[in-house]
Order: sequence, then structure tokens, then C-alpha cells
Amino acid sequence: MNEATPDADATDRMLLQRMSAGDRVALATLYHGYHGRLCRFLSRLTRRTDVIEEVVNDCFWIVWQKAGEFRGDSRVSTWIMGIAYRCGLKTLRLHGDEPVEDDAIPEDRIPSTDPDEDRLLRDWLAKGLDRLSADQRVVVELVYGVGHSLDDVATMMQCPVGTVKARLFHARVKLRNVLPSLAGESPVMKESVS
Amino acid sequence: MSYPLDTGQDCLRAWEAMPWVLQESATQEQREWLDRHLVHCGSCRAEWEQQQRLRLALSLPTELPIDAHAGLKRLMERIDAPEREQAPRRLRSGGWLTRGLVAAVLVQAIAIGALGLKFRTAGQAPAYQTLSQASAPVAPGSIRVVPDARMSLTDWNALLHTLRLQVVGGPNDVGAYTLAPASPAVTTQQALQQLRAARGIRLAEPVAGTP
Repeated sequence: MNEATPDADATDRMLLQRMSAGDRVALATLYHGYHGRLCRFLSRLTRRTDVIEEVVNDCFWIVWQKAGEFRGDSRVSTWIMGIAYRCGLKTLRLHGDEPVEDDAIPEDRIPSTDPDEDRLLRDWLAKGLDRLSADQRVVVELVYGVGHSLDDVATMMQCPVGTVKARLFHARVKLRNVLPSLAGESPVMKESVS
Repeated sequence: MSYPLDTGQDCLRAWEAMPWVLQESATQEQREWLDRHLVHCGSCRAEWEQQQRLRLALSLPTELPIDAHAGLKRLMERIDAPEREQAPRRLRSGGWLTRGLVAAVLVQAIAIGALGLKFRTAGQAPAYQTLSQASAPVAPGSIRVVPDARMSLTDWNALLHTLRLQVVGGPNDVGAYTLAPASPAVTTQQALQQLRAARGIRLAEPVAGTP
């Protein structure tokens, strides 16, 4: 499930190299390769599609300009997701936004072809994530959704690994106690965080 | 803070291993250990099932309708017109800062203009003199003298009277006086010799001899 395998990273590095020479085909390839996961990642910060679109393009604007400066200290995906995260926070600050709730999305904009099972799963997840802070949602998405390590996430969020670990722990504790009931089950265990 | 599982260290270990086993980044040993633990631990099994469901839900593509092709087209347009596009973006993002800087520059410009006007209207002579500028007119035959600081006024006056000299300038910043003969009968050379020989005179030089 990890979307940043060594092979993928080698391809991304090659694309970055071509982009540093002004290759727009490489930019388009990288853009399409990351668009889906960036949109999903940013949707954990905000539900506003206009803001997500803006942040994705701000991110790739920076990637295009800095492609030649990528030092290779981390995987390309870590670098790009980190840029997207910071662009996302900056844009939300400019918009004066807290993450927007689900009901801000017009019902008719959700594809009707969505299978019922997926719809149920998404609803279940959305209600669970609602209980988390924005930082906790981001960590959960990066670890479970994208498949990054704690070290990668710490690099992206520019904070100590211990902080990421604590965010993940608290997020899991909260989810553990709300997700079963959201799915119509009783919680497996009581939370005992003091 | 305690962990949410109260069934012992094994459950704690299982809890910590689950995300990485799900990611397939855990070691073979961790995976096998977790499999064995789940066989006999019902609560961890339930947690594991929920973790798998969570991962599945998080891996679904976003349902938000965001068109990648349209986004890329806008990005390309932005790259093609970086100046036109970026200038207003920068202004938007740094609105207060930009306005503040502009105001500061305006205030500085006004202050500099006012200062210049003041100097122009005051018409003051500069407080310095260059070597090429003509000195203030000094009477011919004048002598620049520096008396000793301990010399009394009486002795100073007596000396001037004896030599028939008078003060025409000074004292300046270094305590030098400009003397001129009080009588046409006194020659500069003679007065100089007498001044240099007098007690309490540290320096006596003709003004005309100044380089």
C-alpha cells in the first residue's frame, strides 16, 4: 500500500531531473502521479475543493521551481507531501479557515456512481476523523493512507518524531473508541488515557 | 498516560506493531509475532480488523470532484505567465506587510525632502573648510600665538603691551590667538623673535607662513 516504493522514488527523481531542465512532460507526469494522493491528503485538512486545487498548484509551482535544488535527503514523495502540507497550512491561514465540515460539500457534487460499500466506509471514516484534530488527521492519513514512516512524517511536518508518535497514538485511541459505535458495534475496550 | 489496552505487554506490543504490519514495512519477525498473538487475543483481533478497515477507508480515492487535467492546465498557464500571475498573488499574501513597507518608504521620503528644504532655506555656511578655500581675511603681518595655559592674564597683557601687539582673533579651539602689530613701527619678524623668547609662549608663527 505504500505509494512511495523505491522504484517509484527512482522514477520521481528522474522526473525531477528532467523538470529541472524545463521538461514540461515530466511535470505533467509527476502532477498526474501525485494529484490523487495530494487531493486525498489535503482533504484531511479542508473539504473545500477550491482551496485544495489552489494548494495542489501552489505545491507544484514550488516543485517546478525547486526541482533542480532537490538534494535527495529524503524520498521525493516525502519532499512533495511536506511542501503540500506547508502550502495547505499557509493557505488555510490566509483563508482564515479551520477545516470545513462535510456538509459544506453540495450533495450533487458527490459522484452518484460511488458504490454503496465505499460510501458507507467513507461516512464511517469521515465521522471518525471528525473527532480528531487537523494534525492528528494528517498523521493518520500519512501513515495509513499513504504509507509513510514516522520519520518521513516528522520530516514533512517539521517536528520531532516523538510528536508524530504522540499524535498517532492519541488519534488511534480516539478512533478506537468511536469507530466501532459508528459502525453499529459496541466499543471493544474502554479508553484509559489519563 | 496509559495505553488503551489493559491486557498486558503483549497487547501493547501488538498495538504498536499494527500500523507498520499494515504498511508492510514491519519485519518478518514482527508480522509472524503479531499473527501468533492475534490467534489467542480477541481484543487485539478486533482492533486489527478495525485497523484494516481504517486503512481500507483511507486508501479510497477522494470523493471530492477535483479535475487533474484542469488543474494542470492552470498550472501551465501560471508557469507561462509567472510575472503577471505571481505579482498579485504576492500582494494578496503579504497585503499588510506590503502596505506597511510602502507607508514607511513614503514617510522616509517626506522626511528627507523636509530636511533638504530646511538646509536649503537656512543657507548656513558649512561647518568645515577645505584646503582650497580661501581663509578668512587676516591682517598682513599677523602672528598666531599659543600661550601657556598657566600664563596669567596680567602677564599676557603685559607682554602684548611691551611688544606693542594686539589680539585680532581667537582664541580658537586649540587656544591660539591671532596677534597683529599695534604700531607700524613693529615688524613681524622682530615681534616673532621676541614672542618666541618670552616665557609662557608655547608657539608663535606668522600667519602668512602657514602652508
